[in-house]
Amino acid sequence: MTELLEIENLSVRFPVRKKGAGWGGKTYLTAVDSVNFTVRKGETLAIVGESGSGKTTAALAIARLVTGETTGQVRLEGKDILPLQQEQLKAMRRKVQVIFQDPYSSLNPRQRAEDIVREPLDSLTGKSASEKAAIVDELFAAVGLRPEQKRLFPHQFSGGQRQRIGIARALSTRPEVIICDEPVSALDVAVQAQILNLLRRLQADFGLTYLFISHDLGVVQHMCDSVAVMYMGKIVEHADRIALFSNPQHPYTEALLSAVPSVDAKRREETRRILIPGDPPDPLNLPKGCRFASRCPIAEPRCSESEPPLKQAGNGGMVACHLREAG
Amino acid sequence: MEPLLKVENLRIELATRAGVAPVIDDLSFELGHGENISFVGESGCGKSMTALAIMGLLPDRIGRIASGRIIFDGEDLTKASEKRLRDLRGNEISMIFQEPMTSLNPVYTVGEQIAEVLREHEKLGKTAAHNAAIELLDAVRIPNPKGRVNDYPFQMSGGQRQRVMIAIALACKPKILIADEPTTALDVTVQAQIFDLLRDLRKEFGTSIIMITHDMGAVAEMAERMIVMYAGRKAEVGPVQQIIEHARHPYTKGLISCVPHIMADPTFEREELTEIPGIVPGLGEFGQNKCLFAERCNMVVDKCLRKRPPEAVFANGQKAACWRAEEV
Repeated sequence: MTELLEIENLSVRFPVRKKGAGWGGKTYLTAVDSVNFTVRKGETLAIVGESGSGKTTAALAIARLVTGETTGQVRLEGKDILPLQQEQLKAMRRKVQVIFQDPYSSLNPRQRAEDIVREPLDSLTGKSASEKAAIVDELFAAVGLRPEQKRLFPHQFSGGQRQRIGIARALSTRPEVIICDEPVSALDVAVQAQILNLLRRLQADFGLTYLFISHDLGVVQHMCDSVAVMYMGKIVEHADRIALFSNPQHPYTEALLSAVPSVDAKRREETRRILIPGDPPDPLNLPKGCRFASRCPIAEPRCSESEPPLKQAGNGGMVACHLREAG
Repeated sequence: MEPLLKVENLRIELATRAGVAPVIDDLSFELGHGENISFVGESGCGKSMTALAIMGLLPDRIGRIASGRIIFDGEDLTKASEKRLRDLRGNEISMIFQEPMTSLNPVYTVGEQIAEVLREHEKLGKTAAHNAAIELLDAVRIPNPKGRVNDYPFQMSGGQRQRVMIAIALACKPKILIADEPTTALDVTVQAQIFDLLRDLRKEFGTSIIMITHDMGAVAEMAERMIVMYAGRKAEVGPVQQIIEHARHPYTKGLISCVPHIMADPTFEREELTEIPGIVPGLGEFGQNKCLFAERCNMVVDKCLRKRPPEAVFANGQKAACWRAEEV
């Protein structure tokens, strides 16, 4: 398998007004801080983390959809996409599409379902009207919507059906990569299963690569092949699915996994709840050393001195922790 | 011993444009002293309506209790006056809501919002109430409570705001705390902290908790018994662990197996999730004399469409409203 997507030193920062700096005083909030990872073709990489960890910003930066200052490299099939403009940018957008979290606000209420699904074809390709109509028909069938529903408006669909429209729209340009930004967290549990099964079926049928953002670790365990855990803009651990869930290395990953309530009585007995007291540090005033040190149950003095780099870990993945290195 | 709360054959009707619909249809359950029960089900199944009915907060002129009784500590709340309900609310029965972001008043400090409850119900003076608010903030583990008591809600994180909500709800040491999806808007590590807090407070004050949720994992962690609601009716009731191991209603079974649960030992192979096809019926379909789940059920037989299933009672205490409960 080849690396479809290579992310190197990706950083995104947003200018914010600084308190007490007077007029025009400016500082930067670094939402994503030199992040490195790769995604192989046909696999699903999950980015997990809590709100404010930078997972959505990182993923949207890869789709060229953030307004902040983006530095580093995002190589799609070996070619850096960050400097692309106009026609080349359009070509790149055909290859990278997004499924959004909220199916209620991500569809234009004034457009009919078929127009919503066709829109990426209108703006990104030069296909003829009949070609486009054929693609829309095919996509409606692929995501499990009936042909007569093409003429309906978004408000006439249920939440799950709207998400199907969103998925059909993302598939219309036959993309290589789809960024799924919390695709099921706004849906009812029974409908979640329908959408998750659909996403996995489409991945097999269309050979898609998913970048899957979620805070629901049960969903992540079911969907992904490898997992990157983010905390305060940094990747703290990146490992394949089984290694990460059965043998987490970073104390933050352990705490995150131990916090998930479980129906599995065996798991409940086995997991010792690891408490991480307090709140994450102020993103405008980050500590010098490890960003997790202030809440970490095993922190040592050196953790607040120097920042740990992402290194080989005992479970075959990568971990950024002074105390958990391979060997 | 008499249960603390006893709901008998409760029927709540909601006036809709299409006519009157029974959002709660013949619901009965009991809540013991210090017990923790959970209501589970998809949106639109009547979980929150049940909570609002107990609180006496049904939407004015739209919702009404058509029949049945809600007996709290020997008193029928369906017959209580508005004044009596005001006395009970926040004092004996209180509620925390799903959205900690929007359920606090943005123009009052959190301390003022906690103190208000104490002044109203406990008739405390201004200073005493303020000091009690600081103690409560400490009890819900907000660091530096003396400093934070004068903060406005926007100065706090989501988890802290939910703690303030809990502090307000617990200010008068209520006998029943109703938590309507208390952690849905929060991160998992914060959720774990809130659950620990609720557990400790329950131990300390002996509060009974009714938790409304759609997360089976949360139910398994927090509750002793669960009530599964579907389309305004009770689908299944029983001890939590027992139901998780062997549900007796196809809907419960679907609800448990359609969610990818985090496992202790993940396997390489992943099977497709079990789907419950379709969605919850609209209010217009409620109250028919048939099994309302029949359209989505994989075990449906003719009988399900003709007659509402009675509750099948099992020796281990589980009850399921399904014609084929024995076979599930």
